[in-house]
Amino acid sequence: MPNKVLLVEDEKNVILGVRTCLDAVGYQVEVVEDGDDALESVRREHPDLILLDLLLPKVDGFEVLKVLKGDDVTNSIPIIVLTAKAEEEDRQRAMDLGADNYMTKPFKPQELWDLLKHYLPEPN
Amino acid sequence: MNLHSLPEPVNLGTITGNLADPVFLVDNSKNVVWLNRKSEEFFNTDSEDASGKTIMELTGIKKMDALLDEVFEQQKELKTSYEETSVKVKKQDERYFFKIAMNPVFHQDKLWGAVIQLTDVTRFHEMEKIKTDFVSIVSHEFRTPLTSIIVGVEMLKEGMLGDLTPRGNEVLEAIGADCERLSRLIDNLMELSRIESGTIYVESQPTDVIDLVEEAIRPLKFQAEQQGIELITDIPPELPPAVADFNKAVWILANLVGNALRYTDPEGTVTVRVRQRARRLFFSVEDTGCGIPKEQQDKIFRKYVQVSGPGRKGSGGVGLGLAIAKDIVMAHGGEIWVDSEEGKGTTFTFTFPVYQGSESVTLPDTDQEGG
Repeated sequence: MPNKVLLVEDEKNVILGVRTCLDAVGYQVEVVEDGDDALESVRREHPDLILLDLLLPKVDGFEVLKVLKGDDVTNSIPIIVLTAKAEEEDRQRAMDLGADNYMTKPFKPQELWDLLKHYLPEPN
Repeated sequence: MNLHSLPEPVNLGTITGNLADPVFLVDNSKNVVWLNRKSEEFFNTDSEDASGKTIMELTGIKKMDALLDEVFEQQKELKTSYEETSVKVKKQDERYFFKIAMNPVFHQDKLWGAVIQLTDVTRFHEMEKIKTDFVSIVSHEFRTPLTSIIVGVEMLKEGMLGDLTPRGNEVLEAIGADCERLSRLIDNLMELSRIESGTIYVESQPTDVIDLVEEAIRPLKFQAEQQGIELITDIPPELPPAVADFNKAVWILANLVGNALRYTDPEGTVTVRVRQRARRLFFSVEDTGCGIPKEQQDKIFRKYVQVSGPGRKGSGGVGLGLAIAKDIVMAHGGEIWVDSEEGKGTTFTFTFPVYQGSESVTLPDTDQEGG
């Protein structure tokens, strides 16, 4: 069974890029485009890892982090924040809310793959 | 006609009452002895209320105390006023910024008091804030589109999306290099707006000098090799650690080495040297490049300044690197300077304090408010 990665991102072009990047190495990718759908999808699908943007429609990424990391059922799922927010305050806030890692956009595919390897067994 | 004496219907009050700036006269104990109408309006007072109060009590500007001491100590009339200082004043939840100008007044060769003028520079501060915010928003907005471009380009380069023609690969390399350049520019702009808004985060800790240099030059070794430039490190063993913010120090060094590579011809050398003198560590980056003309040497640490002149290639930046480097070095309590001779080469040197045990890791106040 390939690892299921949930990508929470509302920018179409970034979705295409990240999806392509993860497909290429064999991860199974599910995409949702707002915070509400993210919470629902996590409860339904139990992904192995979440890639989370912070600026999202409806419920923002910080709130998603807070809910998922505050819930015993979901708090063991690793969450990597992928965001254009490069300020130290934002990073600190996300880490305080329980984010497992924080990567600032833009990034290279290799950086994303390397990061994922820490949390998931390497796909074939 | 004597232009120094007032015509009949006019007195001093007529004139000072129409000034847009608050003006005060204080005696040598810093008590307010006279004020103009604007002062009364702004500080919500009148001559009765103000009398017997010191200028600090009346205006709430604590900084005034030290500034007056300085002015009084001079014991002579000053040619220049203390214009460089601006202070923040809160008034009914609104913030105002003033520049303070003060001049001593003498009577029979003795210090009698001082004239104090406050100039409202709030609007100027607001404009600065708008500019800083704008830079921050723009650099932020660039990050998202760059993500899809960079991810796409890298995947294509890796051949993960099929094969390209050799020409296609060449074009892709060029796009990748320009993406790097854009990313770097965005990082620099962000860093600058952070520094300008007074929120430079310096997380200083004991930092191993060799680690620092290695981390800074590692990504540049390949570039040096390709350009046919010898990249040399000259670090004596057993140097004590520096007190530095590791990432920021790496950034400065990488920036200086990057610059050196850009301005050095093939077969030249770039040397990174570290020396200890007393309680300071001197980091220098020396190149055998085209040098910087004398008249431009004192300007290069300013923002948006790039060295120009014959024989200089476009640098691929906007002239922010050195301005940021200077701000960071100064936030560490260090110094940065340049020595250069045209046609021979350039050496940039900066200093960091030596780590001397846990109790001495204190940095100067980096709060830039009011500067």
